[in-house]
Amino acid sequence: MIMIRVGLTAALCRLCISDVQSSNTSTRLISTGISPLFFKASTCLYAEPLKKKKRIDPAILKQREERKKKRLEKQIRRLERNAKQLKPIDELEVPLELVDGKKERMREAAVITPAVEEERALLTKDWTRYKRKQHLKDMQMIDRLMFAQQKALDELRQESEELYQAAIQINPTLLPFTVRGPVKTPPIKGYDSPDGEYTDVSKKW
Amino acid sequence: MSAVCLERKPVLSGELNEIERKFSRMLADIELENSHKSDHEVRYETETLQAELLKSKSLDLDIEQTLQQTAQDFEDAAVDEYNKFVFESRITEADKANDLQNLERKLDRHLLLLVQQKQWDQKIWALPQGLQKDGETMLQTAERVLREKCGDDLTVQFYGNAPCGVYKYKYPKMFVSREEEGPVGAKVFFFKAQYIAGYVDHNKLKLQEFKWLGREELMSSLSQEYYRNISQFLIDEE
Repeated sequence: MIMIRVGLTAALCRLCISDVQSSNTSTRLISTGISPLFFKASTCLYAEPLKKKKRIDPAILKQREERKKKRLEKQIRRLERNAKQLKPIDELEVPLELVDGKKERMREAAVITPAVEEERALLTKDWTRYKRKQHLKDMQMIDRLMFAQQKALDELRQESEELYQAAIQINPTLLPFTVRGPVKTPPIKGYDSPDGEYTDVSKKW
Repeated sequence: MSAVCLERKPVLSGELNEIERKFSRMLADIELENSHKSDHEVRYETETLQAELLKSKSLDLDIEQTLQQTAQDFEDAAVDEYNKFVFESRITEADKANDLQNLERKLDRHLLLLVQQKQWDQKIWALPQGLQKDGETMLQTAERVLREKCGDDLTVQFYGNAPCGVYKYKYPKMFVSREEEGPVGAKVFFFKAQYIAGYVDHNKLKLQEFKWLGREELMSSLSQEYYRNISQFLIDEE
């Protein structure tokens, strides 16, 4: 009888909360396999039975869907806004297409004959000489202009101190002064731009 | 007295001279050698390869590809458009007509305004000048002189309060007043200004009384000493 009881305890150990395997005496045994019961108890699940699904108002359902959509769209807009802002130049990287396609984009190394190389070296030297002369001329011109102005100011001072002081004053209305630089060909009179007129609002640094 | 040195700065950039042209060509060559191929070039090469393969092996013609504009077509179309576009010529009609009153002359050089002025008993060409009135700074005198001589239409930017040059001359003895204390000569202070927009008012200055001259033409119109003095503060050394 004890053997049978132990077997029974092991089989029905799940019915009890306490650890039945270790203690083989003195726990109260609840057996459901004896007549006249013979019912099978399911395992102890520790969960409450599922709630009954209530019918939700379709309008509220739609509202929930719309809210989810709006949230997603807002996030998309935020991402796009970030994409429109230009990255600072320090953060820019070489685009991956160029890095991958480097092989097909490389030119064959051009053959530069020694004659061409020498010609280039000589031309560079000529250019440095030419530029140096130009620079010296510019410096001389600037000196000449400054000398002329100084002479004029001296003469003015001789004439009258008041006028001289007035002439030395800085004119704050002068700056900012913008002039458009020289172009290659003069503007065509009455030109109708095919792309239309536009005002450039890009930021300048 | 103060005078106005009004200049129309060059509108066109100057032509490159020999050495500049050679050097810029050399730089362009070096840049091309050191560069990578652009998208257009890569596309062009792949399409020429495809065309050759088509010819030799007669692969299946991909209709979509042939209908697209090839890189060669695009290049040709672009070159055509460039050739068809007519740029305005650098030498304007005023250059050909040698119209001294017109500002469109010599677009790649500086032009200086000269005005005919009465000096004693002669009429000479000079920069517009006038006497200073009491209570005016020299710059205000210069502005007033310009407005009186050329009208209000001319938009001009003066380069600051200080004069850029001075010209002293003595009155010839006939015109000096008998008293010893009268003025013996005059100092003319020049103020530099840049022409921005507008035209000289023809009511105030008739056609023969003013002209816009380039640097080379100045020497013939001005007296030696005056020219020497002025050229001290003028730019343009070519």
